[in-house]
Amino acid sequence: MAKVMIWDLPLRLFHWLMVATVAIAGITGFVAPAAWLDIHLFAGYALAILLAFRLAWGVLGSYYSRFRSFPLAPRSAFRHLRSLLRNSAAAHTGHNPVGAWMIIAVLFLLLALVLSGLIVLGGQENLGPLGFLVDFQTGWRAAALHEIAAWGLAGAIAVHLLGVFVEARLLRHPVVSAMITGNKLVTRAKAKGQGRSYKARGLTLFTIAALMLLGGGKMLASIPASGWKPVQTPAVYSAECGDCHDAYHPSLRTAASWRGIMSGLSDHYGEDASLDAETAAAMGAFLAANAAETFDTEAAWRMGRIDTKSLRITDTPYWTARHAGIADGVFKLSSVGSKVNCNGCHRDAASGRFADQDIHLPNLSKLPNGSQK
Amino acid sequence: MKIRIIVPLHPKLIIAVLALSLLPIQGSASELRQQIIAGFAQDAKLKNSGFAGFSAGRGQTLFLSKPATGKPDTPSCTTCHSINPAAKGQTRAGKEIAPMAVSKTPERFTDSKKVEKWFRRNCKSVLGRICTALEKGDFVTFMSNQ
Repeated sequence: MAKVMIWDLPLRLFHWLMVATVAIAGITGFVAPAAWLDIHLFAGYALAILLAFRLAWGVLGSYYSRFRSFPLAPRSAFRHLRSLLRNSAAAHTGHNPVGAWMIIAVLFLLLALVLSGLIVLGGQENLGPLGFLVDFQTGWRAAALHEIAAWGLAGAIAVHLLGVFVEARLLRHPVVSAMITGNKLVTRAKAKGQGRSYKARGLTLFTIAALMLLGGGKMLASIPASGWKPVQTPAVYSAECGDCHDAYHPSLRTAASWRGIMSGLSDHYGEDASLDAETAAAMGAFLAANAAETFDTEAAWRMGRIDTKSLRITDTPYWTARHAGIADGVFKLSSVGSKVNCNGCHRDAASGRFADQDIHLPNLSKLPNGSQK
Repeated sequence: MKIRIIVPLHPKLIIAVLALSLLPIQGSASELRQQIIAGFAQDAKLKNSGFAGFSAGRGQTLFLSKPATGKPDTPSCTTCHSINPAAKGQTRAGKEIAPMAVSKTPERFTDSKKVEKWFRRNCKSVLGRICTALEKGDFVTFMSNQ
């Protein structure tokens, strides 16, 4: 028996970095509030780079990192499972046959998560490298896939941990220390050069993967997003609406709703907000040309296109559901004023994007006592 | 031949020039306000030949009164503007309103279109009718002294 380097350093670093990023992505995806989306995205981009590296390493890494060395014959996987039931499975130098399939499954799930995540980001938030390509409905469907893949990965991680437990505790194969030190006690190493750590090659491949993905992603992200357009807001619109409340992005109501609001200004939610005919006509034209129907954004689909009896944005089911957890006191803070001032928290409200990561909840410690839900 | 222009850049001169350049702006704001008040005076005289000028006191009474004859959510001017003309107000939608007092907000009552728009809207919201020229003149006179 001899101590031999089985898992090269780049592979071990990949494994533990992936553990960290998946943990961050999992926590920010399942538990943390929507405003933490930028951390989730950061973890997702990091995962994309790690994945690209791992795929390349599966071809160019050391022997046991290469996909060609994976024992993927179905028969050996069944044999391994059978021997596990008899509590007598042999130690494998590299991956065991079930573990190898596990890795393939995890890599596919991660790939699905990264891709579906980018599609959601592009379709629903009109952001990221696929913002120019994906429409809202596609992003909506990808969100379901993203969630399924996330639960699939959670399950796969559970099975993986169970496998590690069985190997390490029941069969007493030191697989955990092997993933830390890289070394296993083996009778013979299969490939030459297995003792080398492959540091330089790993660093080079990782750098290439990072540069290519970040550069390419940035380039794609700079293409204007489909479904969202910059709007030239006339000064008169910002001034007239903005005297009393946030001057809403025109994509937040349909053209018909805007017509209703503009024709009812003499009793505008309990106040006379009437305008002279010329001003009203200019604002009406701007609203009609940029109403919800002309936008393919999350805000335009989930609130803008939903007409309400009161004509209010805040009466749409989506608005109500998304703001249900926010204490009344938050809306009454002087920096917000009331529920109708989107820009109190949505720093990108003027653009009509309402991206999750641009939500900036005011300092909650300023809340008067008892107003927190 | 060389032409030399000598400009004596004495600090006191610079201050004097800056102060002079500010004067016309100061003057025009109060001038514009006086013009608006003069317009109200003309209308008030047309309606009542016995019109004897505006009164800041009447303006204050109007501002602090609670007529509650307009829309239910706005029983008085002070609902939104707060009871102190020098303090900031808040719209019902929660947006800040600059103080009404001219000493705090010098550009108040200098744009006649804006003045007419807000009197039209707010008199209807608070009083349930349009304001008379006398009321408007009293109101602006009161706020100009604040």
